[in-house]
Amino acid sequence: MAKVTVQERIQSENERVAAANRAAFAKARVLVLNLVSSPGSGKTTLLEGTLDRLPAAGIRSLVIEGDVSTDRDLERVRARGGEGVQINTGGGCHLSAQMVADALGRLDLRAADVVFIENVGNLICPSTYDLGEDAKVVLLSTAEGDDKPMKYPAVFHESSLAVLNKIDLLPHLPYDIAKVEREIAVLNPRCEVLRVSALKGDGMDLWLSWIAARLAAKRSK
Amino acid sequence: MHELSICQSMLRVVDDAMRRQSGARLLRVFVDVGRGSTVEPQLLREAFAVLASGGPYAEAELVVNDIPLVGRCRSCGRSFEYREIALGCPDCGSVSVEIESGLELSVRELEIDD
Repeated sequence: MAKVTVQERIQSENERVAAANRAAFAKARVLVLNLVSSPGSGKTTLLEGTLDRLPAAGIRSLVIEGDVSTDRDLERVRARGGEGVQINTGGGCHLSAQMVADALGRLDLRAADVVFIENVGNLICPSTYDLGEDAKVVLLSTAEGDDKPMKYPAVFHESSLAVLNKIDLLPHLPYDIAKVEREIAVLNPRCEVLRVSALKGDGMDLWLSWIAARLAAKRSK
Repeated sequence: MHELSICQSMLRVVDDAMRRQSGARLLRVFVDVGRGSTVEPQLLREAFAVLASGGPYAEAELVVNDIPLVGRCRSCGRSFEYREIALGCPDCGSVSVEIESGLELSVRELEIDD
């Protein structure tokens, strides 16, 4: 009987592919945002509102849509003039770096300034998978309740921005938005927070400014 | 429920290590799993039982080293274990805390019968 030291991170293969994705994104000088949330928080609606506004800001975009099945989200993106590819995970609860690497073969990054990756709707699993993105953006909608940051700490710990969506519903819900912002600040003091209604348009100017600032910061490196 | 794909990645790491141990039989796999890693040890063990069955590791045992989530307060410098997610340092109340350990997810070592 013998012991063999391994000391290898289980995610090392995903990390290797994510690093290759990150290098490809850096070479193409595109900003890549990984949108994560539970199903129904408004990731696709946020994208629709974003696609409506990006051209006026002079920013070109591509979308990588991740879903268990169907290309309904990509159809919604295309209906707003967006372009991209759909990944179907066939039951998988998250996108992996390899799935994104495969999708990159079907995208011309020269046609974009920003790439949005809409992850599979899930507040837990995607936080463990680096895709090579510049930033994770977590969405949390008011209808989900104000207790979620502390119940799902990992995703908030990993995210650079939290979009608190559906604020137009605040008058109808027992939702303490200040408590949510306080808990996110404890979990991750570096995580910025925006109050948004992707459907009604509130806060979308702040979201667009955040994207433009991140893009400028990446390109000034 | 991503333990199945985490387990597949773990088995790739084990395969790589076992290729360098020609002819040896795997007895135990020791993995470090931090409580903040979003991986549930029980589900990982169940995934291992499913994925290893019928293969060369069917008789092997998965031993999970469960690592507590430990934070360190940036204000008073003290380290503490998160027993439940709490609002900041239990001593001085500061909310400026960094995670010291508990995010691990790695294969530490193998026990083989050579």
